[in-house]
Amino acid sequence: MADSDEEYIGGVSEDEDNNPAFRGPRGEATTSRAKRRKHGGAEWEVSRTWETLVEGADGTISSTVEGLLEAGKRKRLLRDTTPLQRGIIRHLVLILDLSQSMIEKDLRPTRYLLTLRYAQEFVREFFEQNPISQLGVLGLRDGLALRVSDMSGNPTEHISAIQALRDQDPKGLPSIQNGLEMARGALFHTPSHGTREVFIIFGSLLSSDPGDIHQTIASLVADNIRVGVVGLAAQVAICREICAKTNGGDYYRYGVALNEQHFRELVMDVTTPPATYSQKQSTNSLLMMGFPSRTVETNPSLCACHSKPSCGGYSCSRCNSKACGLPADCASCGLTLILSTHLARSYHHLFPLMNWVEVPWQRAARSSACFACGISLPPVPPKDQWQTAEGQAKGVSVSSRYECPACKNHFCIDCDLFAHEVVHNCPGCQSKAARFMPTGPDTMDTSV
Amino acid sequence: MAMAATPSRPFDYLESLPGTTFYKLYQQPSTALAIFRRMLPDLAKCFVMALLYLKDPLPAANLEVWVKAESLKERDNALSILGRLHILSNTMVADNTRAYKITDPFASSLRQALTGAEKTQSFGVLSHLSNSDSRSIAELDEYARRQWEGVLGYMVGTSGLGIQRDVNLSKGVKQLLQAGHLVEIRDRRVEITQDGFAFVLQDVSVQVWHILMLYVESADAIGMSSVEVLSFVFLLSSLELGQSYDKKHLTSNQLRTLTDLADFGIVYQESPDTNQFYPTRLATTLTSDSSALSNPISGSLSGPTGGTTDKAGSGFIIIETNYRLYAYTSSPLQISLIALFTTLKYRFPNLITGKITRQSVRRAIEMGITADQIISYLATHAHPQMRKHNVSRSTSNQAGIPPSVLPPTVTDQIRLWQLERDRVKATAGFLFKDFVSLSEYEAPCRYAEEIGVLVWKSDRKRMFFVTRHEQVAAFLRSRK
Amino acid sequence: MNAVDATEHYETSARDPAPSLLTVILDTNPHAWALLENSLPLSKAIANILVFLNAHLACNYANEVAVVASHNQKAAWLYPRVRQNTASDTDGDAAMNGSSAEPGQVNKYRPFRIVEEQVTQNLRELMESTSGADIQGTNSTMMAGALTLALSHINRSSIAWAEAHGADMAAAGGDVPPTGGSTGTDTMGEGLQSRILIVSVSGATDSAHQYIPIMNAIFACQRLHIPIDVCKLSGDAVFLQQASDATKGVYMSLAEPQGLLQYLMMAFLPDQRSRRHLILPTRVDVDFRAACFCHRRVVDIGFVCSICLSIFCEPPENGDCLTCGTHLEMGDYGAKPAVVARKKKKKKRVNGQSNTATPTPTPTPGP
Repeated sequence: MADSDEEYIGGVSEDEDNNPAFRGPRGEATTSRAKRRKHGGAEWEVSRTWETLVEGADGTISSTVEGLLEAGKRKRLLRDTTPLQRGIIRHLVLILDLSQSMIEKDLRPTRYLLTLRYAQEFVREFFEQNPISQLGVLGLRDGLALRVSDMSGNPTEHISAIQALRDQDPKGLPSIQNGLEMARGALFHTPSHGTREVFIIFGSLLSSDPGDIHQTIASLVADNIRVGVVGLAAQVAICREICAKTNGGDYYRYGVALNEQHFRELVMDVTTPPATYSQKQSTNSLLMMGFPSRTVETNPSLCACHSKPSCGGYSCSRCNSKACGLPADCASCGLTLILSTHLARSYHHLFPLMNWVEVPWQRAARSSACFACGISLPPVPPKDQWQTAEGQAKGVSVSSRYECPACKNHFCIDCDLFAHEVVHNCPGCQSKAARFMPTGPDTMDTSV
Repeated sequence: MAMAATPSRPFDYLESLPGTTFYKLYQQPSTALAIFRRMLPDLAKCFVMALLYLKDPLPAANLEVWVKAESLKERDNALSILGRLHILSNTMVADNTRAYKITDPFASSLRQALTGAEKTQSFGVLSHLSNSDSRSIAELDEYARRQWEGVLGYMVGTSGLGIQRDVNLSKGVKQLLQAGHLVEIRDRRVEITQDGFAFVLQDVSVQVWHILMLYVESADAIGMSSVEVLSFVFLLSSLELGQSYDKKHLTSNQLRTLTDLADFGIVYQESPDTNQFYPTRLATTLTSDSSALSNPISGSLSGPTGGTTDKAGSGFIIIETNYRLYAYTSSPLQISLIALFTTLKYRFPNLITGKITRQSVRRAIEMGITADQIISYLATHAHPQMRKHNVSRSTSNQAGIPPSVLPPTVTDQIRLWQLERDRVKATAGFLFKDFVSLSEYEAPCRYAEEIGVLVWKSDRKRMFFVTRHEQVAAFLRSRK
Repeated sequence: MNAVDATEHYETSARDPAPSLLTVILDTNPHAWALLENSLPLSKAIANILVFLNAHLACNYANEVAVVASHNQKAAWLYPRVRQNTASDTDGDAAMNGSSAEPGQVNKYRPFRIVEEQVTQNLRELMESTSGADIQGTNSTMMAGALTLALSHINRSSIAWAEAHGADMAAAGGDVPPTGGSTGTDTMGEGLQSRILIVSVSGATDSAHQYIPIMNAIFACQRLHIPIDVCKLSGDAVFLQQASDATKGVYMSLAEPQGLLQYLMMAFLPDQRSRRHLILPTRVDVDFRAACFCHRRVVDIGFVCSICLSIFCEPPENGDCLTCGTHLEMGDYGAKPAVVARKKKKKKRVNGQSNTATPTPTPTPGP
C-alpha cells in the first residue's frame, strides 16, 4: 500500500487489519449490552443456525428449512405499526467521507466507489420516499469540508454531482467537525416545521479536527439537528457520542456495516422518515398548497419561474401563472405548488397497514385458498396432528394462513409480504364496501 | 430481434408457397391463428390486430405515423413479413393514397378464431369419454417421450453407439428421415448425416417443426395435398393437452396423417380404428415460441430414469469454467449425444463426467455439428443449479445485459475452435451492382438494410448483397 | 474472427421472450352502466372486451389474462376465479353449463372459451348477488380493492414465473404439480410483463374516499413498472388520470363508446415490448387534484398539515389536525377572503426561507 509511508501510520494500519475477520470481537467489546435497537453488536455474533434445524418425520430437513425461510420473510414484516408522528418534510445533509481510508478494498470494488454508488441510490430513494424534502451533499477530504451539491429538492442535481466525484481520488484525512459545522450552516435557515438531519457515511477511524468537537455537538443539539452515522470500518467512539447526544441519548442511528448488503440496508434505512419526538422542538403549521394540473399548449410560452419558453407546464391553481416543474413556489403569487402524488407517497408511513395475525388450525378451516392471489393453502390436518407442527419458529403461522384483523380474510405469506411492503393496502378490506369495515383505529379509511 | 423468435425453417417453407396456397390455408381459423401467433414479430401482431376490425383500409401514412421514428427498421421488417405471408395487402383508396388492409380469407378467419361465431371444426371436436378410458397427461407425456426418443435413438443409435431399441418405428418414419437427408442408407446400414447431427442437437420444438415440414413437403409425393396436411398440423397445434378429440369429422387424408404423426408421438391414439385421438405436448406447444414451454418434454426426454413425472424444466448438465462437464443422466440417447462433442471420462449409474477438449470439439465439427448447436444444446439442458447461479450473478451485476447460463470462457472457446477450421461462410443470395450514381445506390441499400436482408455492401464499389431480392427489386421499380 | 465478441454470449438467453399478463379491471357499477344503456350496454361491452382478451391470448402461447370486477359494493375476481369454501356443488354447476353449451354450437379455441365461459358465468353470479339495497346504498365502485387484488395476482404470477424460470424453487415448493397445465393456462408460463387495463365508467367524486388506497396501489405499480392503462367510457376520473400518468400507461377517454373494440385493439393491445416502437395516445394534460381528508372533496388548493401531510379543504376547527391531532399554527386563511393574498405573501416568506439554498432564479421581482 502506497499510503503506509505517510505520517498517520497508526491510523492507517488500524484500518488495514480491519478486515471482517477481526471486526467481530472488537465491535463487541466496544458495544455495550445496553439496548440495541436495530444495529450493533447483536448481529456480529455467530448465529448457530444449524442447531435450530430439526429433522422432519421423513428424515429430511426441508420442512424446517421452509419454515425458516418463511420466518425470515415474516421477520421483516413484524414491525411496529403504531402510527407515529413522522417528520415528513425533511432537511438532510449527506456527508460523504472522501479521505484516504476510502481507498480500502474490503468492500467491493472499493469503499469509495461503493459509497458513491449507494449514495446515488440513497438520493433517488430519499426523494422517492420524501418527495417534498430538501437534501444537500458534502464531502470530507484533506481535513476540509467540501461542498458537493447545495440544498435542493432536485435529485438529478445531486446524482450528477456525486457522479462527478468518481473521477476524483479520495485523499487526506477527514474532519467531522468541519463537516458538521458546514452542515449546520446549511441547515440553519431551514424552517422549523421540517426536520433537520445530518447523515454521515464514514470510512475512517479518526477525525482530525481544528477545534473542540464537543462544542460543535452542543450547538447541534441546540439547533435540533439530528445526526446519523454509518461506519465502514469499526465503531468510533466520537461518532457514537455524536449520534447519542443529538438523538436524545438513543444511539441506534449509528451503525457499522458488516458487508456490502448490510451497508446498503443501513443507508436505505435512513430514507424512512424519522419519528418526531414529543418535545416541542418544532412549531407545526398549516401550509396552504396548490395542486395544479398539467397543461399543454400548442405554442410555447414563457414560464414564470425561469422565463424559458416551453410548450407545457403546470398552471398555478390560484393565479394561473405557469410553472415548468414541480414542486415549486408560484413565482407570482407565492403559493406552494405540489403534485398530490408527492404528498400521497408518504401516506403509508402515516397510515400503516396493521400486521396480520397467524391463524391456528382451529380457525383455518374457513379458507382453502388465499383471498388475494388464490393460491391454495394447505388443507387442515386431523386434530391429533395439530400439536406436532406447532411452535417451530416465531411469527410463523402453522397453517400458512395470515389473517387481517379487520376483514378476517386469510392470506398466504407472499401476499402478506406484498401487501405490507409494496402496496400498503389490505386486499380484503379494500374489496368490501366501506360500511362493512370496522372503524378500527388504523383502518385505511381516511375518515378520522 | 423480432426475427429471432421466428424459426427460419417453417417460415421459409411457407414463404415459398404460391399465393393461392395461402388463400386455401387461410380458410381455416386455426391456421390463421397459428400463423399469426407463431410466425409474426410483435410489431406485426399489433398491426394485424389494429387493422383487423377496421372497415376501411388504413392509409399507409397513418400507419407510419403510428410507429416511432427510431423504430423504422422494425416497422419495415414487420410490414415485409406480413407482405411475404400474404396477410397484408396494399390497396389504393379513393384519393390515390396508398393504404393497407388485411387480406380477406386471413382477416375473416382470424376474426372467426377470436369470436368463434362459425360452425366449423377448425379447433377440433371434443369427444366425450368416461373417465376410466381417458388418458392422463402423464401418460401422454410418457408416450410422446418414448416415441420421440425412439426416433432420435434410431438416428443416433445407428452411428454405432449402441442403444437398445424398444420402440418399433414404422416404415413411414424411416422413409421420411431418409427423404429429409437426416439419415442415409449405406450398404444396408443406416448412417446419420451431417444434417442429422445438427438435427439431434436442436431443441425439441425445433425438431418437431423440422419433421413436420419434411412431412408436409413429402405429402404431395404420397398423394395428399400439402395444404390439407399443413392446415391439419396447425389444427393440431390449437388443441388442448389432456383432452380427447373425435375423429369422425376428419377426412381420410387427415386420418392418414394422424396415423403417421402418431408414430412420432405427436398425437396418441389407441389404435388407428378407435374413434378418438389425443394431442400430446409435442403438438400443443407447436405455436409457443417460448423454449421454456417445451422443457417439460425435453426435460422428461432427458430425464435420468425416463420417469413419468419429471420436474418441469429440469436440465441435467453442469459445465465448469475448466471445461469439465457433468451430466446427471442415464439415458443412453443423451449420453451418446454428449459423447458427440465431449471426451467422456467416467460413467456412474446416474452421472457421466467428461471434458470438452479441442479434439472432441473438432471431431464434432468434422461431423457437421456447429459450435452454436453445441452451445445451444448445453444451454438448453443446463442444470437448474447453473441457472440459479446465473440468476444470482445477474442480480449482483448492475449492467442490464443478461449473462449467459454457460461460462463465457467455454462458449468463447468452443466458437474459437470452430473458427480454426471454418473460415469461410457461404450465403446464397443476390448481388446488386452497377449503380450509376451514389444516390441511386444508397437508397435501395438502406432499404435492404431496413428490411433485414442486407448481408454485405461496399460503398466504394457501389455493390450490395442481399439474401432475397423481390422486395428490393420492387423498391427499385417503384422509384423509377 | 469477428464472430467472437461479447454480444454473442447473450443470444441464447435473449431469444426467449417473456409472456405478458394482462389484468383487466372492469368497472361494473350498475349506476354508471345504466346511464350508458343507450350507447353501449354492458353486455355489448363485455362481448367486445372478451374479443380483446382473446386477441391478447392469441398473441403468444403463454400470454395470460385475469379479470377483476370492481363492483359497487365489492371487488371480485371474474377470471381466474378463486372458489372459496364453496363445495363441489357450484363447481358441478359450472361444469354442466360448460359441457352443455359446448358441443357443436360454437367451435372455438379452447383457452378462449374457458375465459369467456368463466367471465360471463361469474359476472352473472355477481349481478344476481347484487340486491336493490346494495345499489341504493352506494354509488361508487371499489377501484382500490380491484387494483389491490390485481396487484396481488400479478405478484403471485411473477413469483411463479421466476420460480419456473430462474431457480429450482418450484421443486422446493412442491405445490406445482406437473398436471397443473390441465386448465389450459399453464401456471409456469405466467409472465413478468404485466399490465393493468381499467375499463372505467364511474366518476371521480365517488371514489374520493378511496384516495389513499388508490394512491398506494398506484405507487406500487410505479415501483413494479406495471403500466396502468385506462379506458374511460364515461365521466372523468381524476385519480385514474394520475394513475396512468405516473405509471406511463395509456389514457383514453372515449367520446364514442360504440367503437370500443377498435380502441381496445389499437391502443391497448400492444404489450410493453411493442410499445417501445409505437406512439400511443397518452394524456398530455393531467388533472393532479387531490381529495381532501375532511369532506372528501376534490380540491385544487388545499391546506396541508406539516406533520402528517393530510390535506384539508378548509382550515380545521381549533387548528387541530384531524388526522394526527397536532395543534397547528394557522394563518388567517379564508377568514377574510380579501386579505388572503397578503397573508399568503407572508406565508410565502416563511416558505421562501425554506428554500434559501435552492437556486431558483426568479426574474419576476416580488411586488
